[in-house]
Amino acid sequence: MAKFALLLHHAPDRYTKLSEDDSMNVMKDYIAWVEKTVKDGIYAGGHKLSATAGTEVTSGTDGIVVHESPLAELPEILGGLMIVEVAEMTDAIELARNHPHLVHNSRIEIRKIEGED
Amino acid sequence: MKTNPRLNSDISRQLDLLTRRERGRLIAGLVNRLGSQNLELAEDVAQEALLTALSIWPYRGMPDNPAAWLTQVARNKAIDRLRRENREQVYDDTLDAMRSEENIRIDPERIQDPELRLTFLCCHPALEGVDRLALTLRVVSGFTAREIADVFLSTSGAMAQRLSRSKRKLKDLEKSLTEPPSIFEIESRLGAVLMVVYLMFSLGYAPRSGAELIRRDVALEALRLARELADDKHTTKPEANALAALLCFQASRFDAREDATGKPVLLEDQDHRKWDKALIDMGLRYLGSAMKGPEVTRYHLEAGIASIYATATTWDGVDWETIMNYYARLEQITDSPVVAINASVAQAFAGQPELSLQRLDCLVKRPMMASYTPIHIARAEILRLLGRDDEANESYLTAIASGASSPVIQHLEQRLASNL
Repeated sequence: MAKFALLLHHAPDRYTKLSEDDSMNVMKDYIAWVEKTVKDGIYAGGHKLSATAGTEVTSGTDGIVVHESPLAELPEILGGLMIVEVAEMTDAIELARNHPHLVHNSRIEIRKIEGED
Repeated sequence: MKTNPRLNSDISRQLDLLTRRERGRLIAGLVNRLGSQNLELAEDVAQEALLTALSIWPYRGMPDNPAAWLTQVARNKAIDRLRRENREQVYDDTLDAMRSEENIRIDPERIQDPELRLTFLCCHPALEGVDRLALTLRVVSGFTAREIADVFLSTSGAMAQRLSRSKRKLKDLEKSLTEPPSIFEIESRLGAVLMVVYLMFSLGYAPRSGAELIRRDVALEALRLARELADDKHTTKPEANALAALLCFQASRFDAREDATGKPVLLEDQDHRKWDKALIDMGLRYLGSAMKGPEVTRYHLEAGIASIYATATTWDGVDWETIMNYYARLEQITDSPVVAINASVAQAFAGQPELSLQRLDCLVKRPMMASYTPIHIARAEILRLLGRDDEANESYLTAIASGASSPVIQHLEQRLASNL
């Protein structure tokens, strides 16, 4: 078995405009997916990243600079990650195919986690 | 909005129930600890806790005990908030109490159920009748300002204003920090509380809009509160028992009232085997306790009527004479056009459809009745019974235009189509 991280990207303003009812409907789909994968013994945890702007610490010719990340200008932000434990990449791809993220958003990036097989 | 119906139906129901049910419970628990002047803070942190859950659960899955999780998150948020507002001086004791479950005072002189206490708080005599009900629906049952506005034929903006005015009023009035209502206050507010529970049940039993025929969670929460009222030694008055009996009888038919696809089934067509016998028995027990005093309240009469339906084994076996007799007394007590509509329907079933129609024709001219859907449904059904199909169809159309839950609208459209 190996572990894969599903990185869920979405547009920066994807959820800020939704009414409570609408966001509830989206969340239900995600929760249902996670509940099912937990039951199937595949889900190995996940984290939601805060939707407020992060802080960037960069090192350059001026030394170390700290500033707010330009969230609104980005085409997509990382909303969070989910870790699944399956035999190989093709299984992870299969899971991603049925992921509600592709219903409500458009892109999942799958990265293998090194050293976890 | 696209959804993923294959996965989501169970979870969806579970979450709807949880958010609606837990909101009131969270607020009640916080108000119990922080005092009634913190009602708004309690509402805010309960809402934040639910939003946090909706943000985190999609990534972590649901916790083993969602209710306990929500309580913990709401409590932490409340503590943070009070700290930030630099009020720790005043609230040190309260915060200590909030941190551990063991510190809750169990006082046998007080009502135990937190949501019932919160209902008593919302039914403060300084508030008008409408405001009491609106506030209870908002705070205890988790209805939105827009849903409450629908009930009172108002706009959601106006209702939101009314709600915050009520909360401000309570904040000014309630001086004590954590004291629940005294015995004296319980006595003087009981009438209002019973009325609020009755109306809460009605809203769950027959929602005026929305996708569901019955909002069971709302109706069952009202039933639970009514039973708490009937069982609590401070409130177990005959009228509280009568209300509990009435709600038991009405709730016993929930499974028979809608078919497998969520469409309504009329009383005369219901399968009696689907009625909940345990609830009917419970209702009869409460009715027995209700008869122990000399008073006859509207709840007594309505419970009496409901008990006749609940105990008749067939539709033909219904004792219409007694029902009409109860309705006559009920009309005297309430002077309510809604009661009069129900009385007219009973009259039609008792074999006097023409007289019934005459009464409905008078009633429909009373204020607010022109847009009250049930009266048009009643007229349509009785006209249909009399074979006056064109007029019946007109009434079905008026009923549809007046609005109802979508299963009821569908049902009316079918009745209309079968008449054309």
